[in-house]
Amino acid sequence: MDLSYKMVTVEEAYDDLLRRSLSKISGDLARLIYLASTRDYNTGKYHHDGLAARFRVEIACKALELAHRRIFYRIAACSLEELVEEVELYLSSSRQSRDEVLQVWQKLEPYRVALPVDVNVAIAQLFVSNTKLALAILRRRQEQEAMGERAS
Amino acid sequence: MIELWSLIAGVVLLLLLMAVAIKGWLAPRQFQERTRASRELGAMEPCPEEFVSRIFSPADREFVRGLKAGSIERLFEQERKRVALVWVHQTSAMIRKVMREHAEATRESKNLEFSTEINILAQFLTLMAVCWILSVAVQIGGPLWLGGLAHFGQRLSQQVTKLQESFQAGVLAKAERVGRA
Repeated sequence: MDLSYKMVTVEEAYDDLLRRSLSKISGDLARLIYLASTRDYNTGKYHHDGLAARFRVEIACKALELAHRRIFYRIAACSLEELVEEVELYLSSSRQSRDEVLQVWQKLEPYRVALPVDVNVAIAQLFVSNTKLALAILRRRQEQEAMGERAS
Repeated sequence: MIELWSLIAGVVLLLLLMAVAIKGWLAPRQFQERTRASRELGAMEPCPEEFVSRIFSPADREFVRGLKAGSIERLFEQERKRVALVWVHQTSAMIRKVMREHAEATRESKNLEFSTEINILAQFLTLMAVCWILSVAVQIGGPLWLGGLAHFGQRLSQQVTKLQESFQAGVLAKAERVGRA
């Protein structure tokens, strides 16, 4: 009884998070990065002030973790072509220069931090590998565009 | 008559040799497995079927080929190979873990069914052979032509896991009944 009540509350908090915060972010990759950023590097616990105020701290933490896992699995299941579009959307909605973000992402691979805890190793590797490829494809497109501009 | 007895003796001897070989094969891996499995393969949740399809599917390669960029194609082949090998090692580690648990459970069980044990052993050996073939084939030719074999391995590993779970549930239920009595 207590357990089902708790699950309903986590689902409620999850829906609230989806409605109030995640729906305002464009693209699943940006949502994934956002959710990963709500996780404390040292403790692995998620925190969101607004959600914690509406629900309890633990419920908010569980809802964020649930959202993180669901979005991660959705992105990891994408085809490479779809992932290239996701990364493109992320780059174009970023405030920083597209070229700069692309370079930093290739060098530092910050998307590795976006993996949820205890995720299946093969799926994690698939996500990392596909993101690396998507970045290489976008980098190449950018170089081709620059060459085209120079030629004309 | 003598021929029949020698056939039975041969089968029993073969089974004993297989049991010894498997035990010997599992034992040195135990420490290595425990440390690596808990670290690298710590998350022992099985890889869902859709991801196995994604790893071994040639659809992404078609997309990459369409880009007409040799460097990207090479990177793709290299990366997909790496992911496929991680999946093969994970499946193999998971099934060895299941078999270790099964071996522990059989030690506590008093009425083992010979046919069930042979069935589990046969599936385990088939699966280990599939993993070995996949591992070699992926390294030689990449994973994109091995979808069928990978799916077979995936289904077989699920089957072995389910068999072991039902076996363990049976052992636990029996132990509880004995405890109550």
